[in-house]
Amino acid sequence: MSEDKPHQNLAIIGHVDHGKSTLVGRLLYETGSVPEHVIEQHREEAEEKGKGGFEFAYVMDNLAEERERGVTIDIAHQEFDTDEYYFTIVDTPGHRDFVKNMITGASQADHAVLVVAADDGVAPQTQEHVFLSRTLGIEKLIIAVNKMDVVDYSEDDYNDVVDEVNQLLNQVNFEVDDNSFIPISAFEGDNVAEASDNTPWYDGRTLLETLNDLPESEPPTDAPLRLPIQDVYTISGIGTVPVGRIETGVMNVGDDVSFQPSDVGGEVKTIEMHHEEVPKAEPGDNVGFNVRGIGKDDIRRGDVCGPADDPPSVAETFQAQVVVMQHPSVITAGYTPVFHAHTAQVACTIESIDKKMDPSSGEVAEENPDFIQSGDAAVVTIRPQKPLSIEPSSEIPELGSFAIRDMGQTIAAGKVLEVNE
Amino acid sequence: MGKVAAKIKVMPDSPEMDLDTLQERLESSLPEGAKINGVEREEVAFGLVALIPTVIVPDGAGGTEAVEENFTEVEGVESVDVENVGRI
Repeated sequence: MSEDKPHQNLAIIGHVDHGKSTLVGRLLYETGSVPEHVIEQHREEAEEKGKGGFEFAYVMDNLAEERERGVTIDIAHQEFDTDEYYFTIVDTPGHRDFVKNMITGASQADHAVLVVAADDGVAPQTQEHVFLSRTLGIEKLIIAVNKMDVVDYSEDDYNDVVDEVNQLLNQVNFEVDDNSFIPISAFEGDNVAEASDNTPWYDGRTLLETLNDLPESEPPTDAPLRLPIQDVYTISGIGTVPVGRIETGVMNVGDDVSFQPSDVGGEVKTIEMHHEEVPKAEPGDNVGFNVRGIGKDDIRRGDVCGPADDPPSVAETFQAQVVVMQHPSVITAGYTPVFHAHTAQVACTIESIDKKMDPSSGEVAEENPDFIQSGDAAVVTIRPQKPLSIEPSSEIPELGSFAIRDMGQTIAAGKVLEVNE
Repeated sequence: MGKVAAKIKVMPDSPEMDLDTLQERLESSLPEGAKINGVEREEVAFGLVALIPTVIVPDGAGGTEAVEENFTEVEGVESVDVENVGRI
């Protein structure tokens, strides 16, 4: 595969059993990315057992076993390329407790394929994943209406699913083009690499063509600098060294920076990355740096470093859109769980529940409801119990999302609509 | 149920911390059901080197929480951050 092409991280999302693994297998197979020995091994076993056809789920299982036996596992393991791009597939874990990792970890995917089974339509995880992909800053969503073979390639069934998904997307203001919907069968291969004769009523692009036409992702270098602090060290001969990963913007030696909410600042003296001194650092770079006049006790994990003339926002309160993923009872005003946002973990009180959304229409179902529960999407006002630096997701999406945890579970995820400083 | 590989960045509490010792401590601190599948080292800055074990956990309740908690308790660890997760 060529390393010259631009890179895209692609998430495959959707409800369990709607065919995510089969689709991944099909994409790898159609692009010639399944290792020859895995195909060969499968062919032999299939002949022995008298099984016909090529079963992608089997190939995926086989690759998983192989990876687990290996010494190191590269998480970014499934790769394929199109004419334009070099794709890495991010196969997201199914359990909700991993959502926190996806929000606080390195940003994973640029675009996503939402797999919805034609015979089942929008299911609970479809809704959850759509909301999360919005929260996690997925740019483009492609909707693969899968298992068209199971519904005999019915155009009516396809249109029903498209309508259902559109309602869901409206609910979270996720805009997609009409041509983002594709009727496919990952199992049979329809409309994945080649236009299918089974869907004469569909004249749009195949899935691979659609992937190939995705916009190129730009690193967020134009946004103001935001660098959440992971740790603060005292290094002999250097002084105080904060360490973290740049989320947005650029840090240059000589920049005047501010740490919030600790509210201290100074001039960047040196930046090191991979033990080498660098004049500047960009989004995704893990750096340690040294700021004139800053002591070890002046700043802490959870602070965000930004330009002194455009410092990180500190929320007195903030309004956010949340989706409740799992909660044993109901959430009411006054509830104070722990919020995980970038490197910060702060107890925050849900001060008011402002609106509850209707999942089927996307409209406000109830103003000022008494409570919300699992499966609900709502707009709430939140008051951090300690100062918290967070940004409106419309301005800096990388610093605008959070996971809410309580009782050892991730109970909700959200994105910031507005910050009141 | 599938399994999940998580890349977990573990920062030592100082540049002087012996990384082999730290790695052994991490391995022996793993909760039941989790295993380490390779450990990378990443030079960060000013002599600090992060250990980045890939930990395999079930794709089930609790996620990476138990591993994170146990790693955080290990002597010589400054911080624990999950960088990436993906199903294997």
